[in-house]
Amino acid sequence: MQDFFNGLYQSFVKTFITDDRWLQLLNGLLVTVEITLFAAVIGVVIGFLIAIVRSTYDMNLSGRKCRSFGDYILKVVNFICNIYITVIRGTPVVIQLMIMYFIVFASSRDGIIAAIISFGINSGAYVAEIVRSGIMSIDKGQFEASRSLGFDYKSTMVHVIIPQAFKNILPALGNEFIVLVKETSVAGYVAIQDLTYVGNLIRSRTYEAFFPLIAVALIYLVIVLILTFLLKKLERRLRSSDH
Amino acid sequence: MTTDNVLIKVDNLCKSFDNVDVLKGINAEIHKGDVMVVIGASGSGKSTFLRCLNRLEEPTGGKIYFEGTDITDPSVNINIHRQKMGMVFQQFNLFPHMTVMKNLTLGPIKLLKKSKADAEKRAMELLERVGLADRATAYPSQLSGGQKQRIAIVRALCMDPDVMLFDEPTSALDPEMVGEVLEVMKQLAKEGMTMVVVTHEMGFAREVGTNVVFVDDGVIVEQGEPKEFFENPRNQRLKDFLSKVL
Ligand SMILES: Nc1ncnc2c1ncn2[C@@H]1O[C@H](COP(=O)(O)OP(=O)(O)OP(=O)(O)O)[C@@H](O)[C@H]1O
Ligand SMILES: [Mg+2]
Repeated sequence: MQDFFNGLYQSFVKTFITDDRWLQLLNGLLVTVEITLFAAVIGVVIGFLIAIVRSTYDMNLSGRKCRSFGDYILKVVNFICNIYITVIRGTPVVIQLMIMYFIVFASSRDGIIAAIISFGINSGAYVAEIVRSGIMSIDKGQFEASRSLGFDYKSTMVHVIIPQAFKNILPALGNEFIVLVKETSVAGYVAIQDLTYVGNLIRSRTYEAFFPLIAVALIYLVIVLILTFLLKKLERRLRSSDH
Repeated sequence: MTTDNVLIKVDNLCKSFDNVDVLKGINAEIHKGDVMVVIGASGSGKSTFLRCLNRLEEPTGGKIYFEGTDITDPSVNINIHRQKMGMVFQQFNLFPHMTVMKNLTLGPIKLLKKSKADAEKRAMELLERVGLADRATAYPSQLSGGQKQRIAIVRALCMDPDVMLFDEPTSALDPEMVGEVLEVMKQLAKEGMTMVVVTHEMGFAREVGTNVVFVDDGVIVEQGEPKEFFENPRNQRLKDFLSKVL
């Protein structure tokens, strides 16, 4: 018994204390958070832009002939957006990340920037579909009421449609962020020292699997729980407006 | 066109959806102060006609002149003209994420560039007139159907329109709430508002309408002053229709 606890203690010290390994884990965590945060911002921006293009096309041009120069532009942009969504959703994120790092960023080899852009672009495709479904779920009457007051298409989107859509999609959007946090764990493929990478590194250095891996798992879990909590709070705040 | 007091002139208006002809050449003149009541069987094209007037539906043929301008001309900015054409829907279509006051002031502030204070003052006046001043801070989901529709009317009025278009404004209401909405519309008519009203409320048509038009299969087959229209219908389809609804 004494030996067992002693062994446990030794493992703990080896995993966290020796060589300031807790500090390495903390740095890994910061890298993970950094990549996730910036990628989420990129993903939301890309996602909303693409969703607006796609739903504008669906509402105005789908099944109709182009009549103006603007119509042709919209058609082309919509087509490009569709290709983007198809390619991004049809290929593994690790491959996208490696393409970004080893091909696009071949000369600079700035891993973190490559990862942020790569995960942002990846997330954008999913966010776009979430936002689009949110926009399409808003009753047509809302759109017509706004247009009948004299608002143009853009103002109608900004003042009437998007705010309502946003409230509806918040749970799905939250889910996407949670997926994103965990997906960044493949960043080690391009030599980024994120949380997972550091955990695995400690495992290989110390020949101790239990503590490093469980610790890393728990840290992810805590991040996700915090995210879930914040989202619930935001949802409640938004919902309080229409009872 | 700007001479006399024709507010809206509809000239051979046609509308088809995927090769189905819904409106087949509608001609009408709406003068300032008119209350034109549009009646007809379900599917005859009443809503389509009304929605073409502010181009919520794009006409596929004919012309619509509003205050002298051909608004079917693709080069006109329809948004400007829509500000002058209030519309009230069967399903109210209030913005659920905004308070009543926000619903009422969004257009005046963003489109008419009124100050918030001015817009709210005007909204409050109109709310008082429909007896809903105490609901300014409520959200639409906290209102009854009749209240929602009265607010929807006020929302359109806050834009200070020259004409109000109503598409079956009382059809989605519980019977006990129909009266309060019709009362507001009656009041509006009395104050001289030009109105085009699609409705099944024959009592309203008779009492408030300055002229009644009967739409059948995409054309106006009969129109006239309410008294003559209801007492001496000539068209057989109109006679059948009236015998069913009266
Ligand atoms: N967006 C659309 N696409 C295709 N067909 C349509 C569309 N809108 C209306 N229609 C058709 O046009 C015809 C007239 O419709 P409309 O809504 O104008 O009738 P209505 O007289 O208002 O009927 P109701 O009294 O039921 O409201 C109907 O046959 C309807 O199916
Ligand atoms: Mg109708």
